[in-house]
Amino acid sequence: MAVTPRLEVRGLSKTFGTTTVLHGAEMTVLPGEVHGLAGQNGSGKSTVIKLLTGVHRPDSGAEYYVDGAPMRLPVRWPEVHAAGVSVVHQDLGLLDALTVAENICVGGFPTVFGRINRRRRDALAERTLARLGVAIDPTVPVETLTAAQRAEVAIARAMRDQTDGRGVIILDESTRALTGEDLERVHAMLRRLAAAGSSAVVISHNLGELMSVTDRITILRDGYVVGRGLATVDLDEPEIARRMLGGTVDTVTPRYDAQPSPAERDEVMTVSGLAGDGLENVSFGVGRGEVLGIIGVPGGGYEHLPYLLSGARRARAGVLRTPTGALELSRSSIVSCIRLGVVLVPERRDRDGLAFELTVRDNISLLALRRRGRPWFVGRRWQDDEAELAADRLDIRPRTPSLLVKQLSGGNQQKVLLAKWLHLGPTVMILHEPTQAVDVGARQDILRALQSAADSGVAVVIVSSEAEDLSAVCDRILMHTHGGELRQAETGTATPLLEQVYAYTESASRSAA
Amino acid sequence: MTEFEQGAGTSVAHRAPDVLVEASAPAPVPPRRPRLTTSDHVRSVSSRYALLGVWAIMAAVYGGVMPGKFLQVSTLQTVFGSQSSLLLLALAALCTFVVGEFDLSFASVMGLSATIVPVLSSLHHVSIALSCAIALGACIGCGCLNALFVVGLGVPSLIVTLGSASLFLGISELISASNTISVTSKSFSDLALNNVVGLPLSFYYGLGLCLAFAYVITWTPVGRHIVFVGANREVARLAGIPVNLIRAGSYIAAATVAGLAGILLVASVGGFDPTGASTYLLPALAAVFLGTAMVTPGQFNPMGTFFGIYFLETGILGLQLLGGTGWVQDAFYGAGLVIAVTVATLVRRRTSHA
Repeated sequence: MAVTPRLEVRGLSKTFGTTTVLHGAEMTVLPGEVHGLAGQNGSGKSTVIKLLTGVHRPDSGAEYYVDGAPMRLPVRWPEVHAAGVSVVHQDLGLLDALTVAENICVGGFPTVFGRINRRRRDALAERTLARLGVAIDPTVPVETLTAAQRAEVAIARAMRDQTDGRGVIILDESTRALTGEDLERVHAMLRRLAAAGSSAVVISHNLGELMSVTDRITILRDGYVVGRGLATVDLDEPEIARRMLGGTVDTVTPRYDAQPSPAERDEVMTVSGLAGDGLENVSFGVGRGEVLGIIGVPGGGYEHLPYLLSGARRARAGVLRTPTGALELSRSSIVSCIRLGVVLVPERRDRDGLAFELTVRDNISLLALRRRGRPWFVGRRWQDDEAELAADRLDIRPRTPSLLVKQLSGGNQQKVLLAKWLHLGPTVMILHEPTQAVDVGARQDILRALQSAADSGVAVVIVSSEAEDLSAVCDRILMHTHGGELRQAETGTATPLLEQVYAYTESASRSAA
Repeated sequence: MTEFEQGAGTSVAHRAPDVLVEASAPAPVPPRRPRLTTSDHVRSVSSRYALLGVWAIMAAVYGGVMPGKFLQVSTLQTVFGSQSSLLLLALAALCTFVVGEFDLSFASVMGLSATIVPVLSSLHHVSIALSCAIALGACIGCGCLNALFVVGLGVPSLIVTLGSASLFLGISELISASNTISVTSKSFSDLALNNVVGLPLSFYYGLGLCLAFAYVITWTPVGRHIVFVGANREVARLAGIPVNLIRAGSYIAAATVAGLAGILLVASVGGFDPTGASTYLLPALAAVFLGTAMVTPGQFNPMGTFFGIYFLETGILGLQLLGGTGWVQDAFYGAGLVIAVTVATLVRRRTSHA
C-alpha cells in the first residue's frame, strides 16, 4: 500500500486471567476513510477500543502506529491523543449545564496568564464547529440541544485540536441514541470530515448504519478478526451478520421446531397491558417448560422488560398472572414477584447480580436463608451442600464453595448467578442477557442449564440481543417492535432473525421519518 | 428441594461439558467436598491472624525493653480492663459499617447518654435505672433522626452525621450546663467494676456483645442479609431484602449501642464531660478499620474490632510506660488508623489472589 495508514494496529491481544478475549486483532484505517467496526456483544470490539485508548494494557507483541509513527505500549493516552487519535464515548461525556463552548474546550481551554479567556474560548469553539460545518451557537447550554446536535458537539470536542485533514476520531457507539434524520445529519458530518482527509472509526450495532456511512468494515467474532477491512460496497447486511455470527453453534440442540401451539402451551405466566419505561401495551404468555426468547433493537425499550416483570422497577400499568395469583405491576415489588414464582437474573452480574467480595456459597444460599434457616440460626452444612450441588449441575469451576466470587471467571460467575436463582425453585425465570461477556464454552454450559431448567418445568424467558443464542436455545422467539407489540419471529436461525429485527426497525424508522 | 434437581449427584470432576444434559441418571455418590490443602489452610490462617502475630511481637518488644514495668499482671489488667466503653463504641460504629453506611455521630451519642444519666440521677434525683432508660431512649431517638435524614430523605450520610454529631454535643452541653456531673452510686459502679477473674465486669460485657454481634452476622438470616446489603446493595434489593429497613435499623442499633457505651462509661468513671466525646471518635474508627485486616479479611467484623481495640491499647500503654505523654495517644491512634486501613487493603488484595 502506497499510502501511510492513518491508524494501524497489528497483533493486538488481550488476556484477562486465563481467558483470552482478543486474539491478534489487526485493523488498518486509511486517511480520509470512514472505517466500521462490527461484532456482537463480547466479540472484542470494546476491548479493542479500550486497548487503543489505554484503559487496558495489551498482551505483549502488539504494534500500534498512527500516521506511520509507532506508539509506545501500553498506550499512554496523552501521547496517542497528541498524535491525532480521539474518542467519542457512548454517553458523549457532555455536561448539560455548561455551554457548548465550555464542553468543546474542556481539557484545552485557551488561557491568558492561567486565566481562561472567554472570548478566545468561544472563538475556538466557533472555529471548530465551523470547520465541521455545524451551525450551533457556542454560548447556549448543551441541555437545550437536540440529540443530533449533542453528538455534533461531542465530535467537535474530539476534533478540536486536529488540524484539517488529519486525525482519526473513534465513535464508540456514540450514535446509538440517534435515528432517522438525526443519524443522517451526523453521518453527513462524518463524510465531510473524511472528504477533508480526516479518518473516522465507527463502532455500531446498527448494521444499516455501518452500511450507509462506512467505506470499509472490520468484523470481529469471539475475539478474532473475521473480516479485515472489507470494502463496504462488496457487502450487504446479511453478509455482515453472517460473519459476525459465524457458523451457528450446534452443540446445543435447537428446540425451535418443537414449538407447541398456544393452546397446547400450559401457560404459567401471562402478562397483559404492560406499560412503562418506553414500553406500551406489551402482552405475552409463557408456558411451563418453555424457553421463550425476546429480542429487539438495543435502546428500543425491550431491555427494561426483565426489570418491569420481576418487580425490580414498577411499571405504569399491566397485570402479571401466574398460577399462584395475579399482581398489578404498578404496585409490584421484588418480594411480591418472588411470591408469584417469578425471579429475575439481571444483566450486570458485577453490579446487580452477585456480591463479588463474598463467597460462592453465600451468594448461592442468599435467597434460601429465610426459608431454610430459622430466625436465630442458619447452618453452614446445607449451604455448602447446595453450593456443591449447583457446582455439579452447572459445572462451576473450581467447585470450592468457600471461594470468593471475584476469583471466578466471567462464565463461572454467570453460572453462580444462575444457580442462585434456580435454587429458589421458581415457576418463571426471567434472564437479561445471560450470555453477555462469557466465553464460548461457558455460553454452552449456560444455555444447556437453561434448557435443562425448562425440561424440569421452569418457564424460562430470555431477554437478549444475542440472536444466535436465542435461536439455539429458544422454543419460541418474540421480536419487540416499535409499536410496543411483540411479534413472533418467523424463523429460528440466527441470521434471518437478526435480519428480521433490523429490517423491521428500519422500515419502522423510515415510516416514522 | 427444588423441581430442578435432576443432574444432581453426578460428580466426575472434569467431565466434558456436553454430558450435562444426559447426566440426569441418578448416580448417588457420597457428597464430596474439595479439601483445602494444608498449605491453603496455613496461608489462610496466616493472613487472617497476621495482626495477632504483630500484636505478640509488639508485646514481646515492650517486654524485652522494660521487663520490670511491662511484664506485669497489672499491665494485662490495664489493657483489658480499661477499654470496655471504647469497645462498645467501636461496635456501635461497626453497626453502620457492616451495612455499608457511615456514621460519625456515635461518639456524640455516647456523650449524650453519659451526660443524661448523671444529670438526671444527681441533679434531678431520678433513680439510676430510670435515668439509664431515659438516656437509652434519647439515644434511640438520635438514631431515628439519623436514619430519617440518611435513609428516608436520602441526604449524604457524611453530612448528616457530621451535623448531628455537633447537634447532640450541643444538647449534652446544654443539659449539663457544660459541667462535669458525677454519679456516686456504689451499686451502679459495681455493675461495671466488679472483679471477675482479675478483670472488671465491663470487659465481659464488651466480649459478650462482640460474640453476640459475631453470631448474628454469621449465623442468622438477618445477619447474612445485612452482610449482603453491605457488600452490594443492589444485589440485596433484587433478592427481595428490605434494604432500607436494614439501613435505617443500622443507624438505630448504632445509637443504641453507643448509648450503652455511655452508660458503661458513667458507671466505670463516675462522670463525663460531654466536650470530651469527640476524643473517642478516632480510636473507635481505628479499631473498626484495623479489625477489617483480621478474622475475615476485607470485611468489617466484630471479633476483628475486639482485637483491634486491645491491639491499639497495648501499643499506647507500652509507649506511655516508655515515658510518652498525652501526645502518644493522638499520634498512635492517628497513625494506627492509616496503617490499619493500609494493612487491611493489602491483606484484602492478597485474599483476592489466593
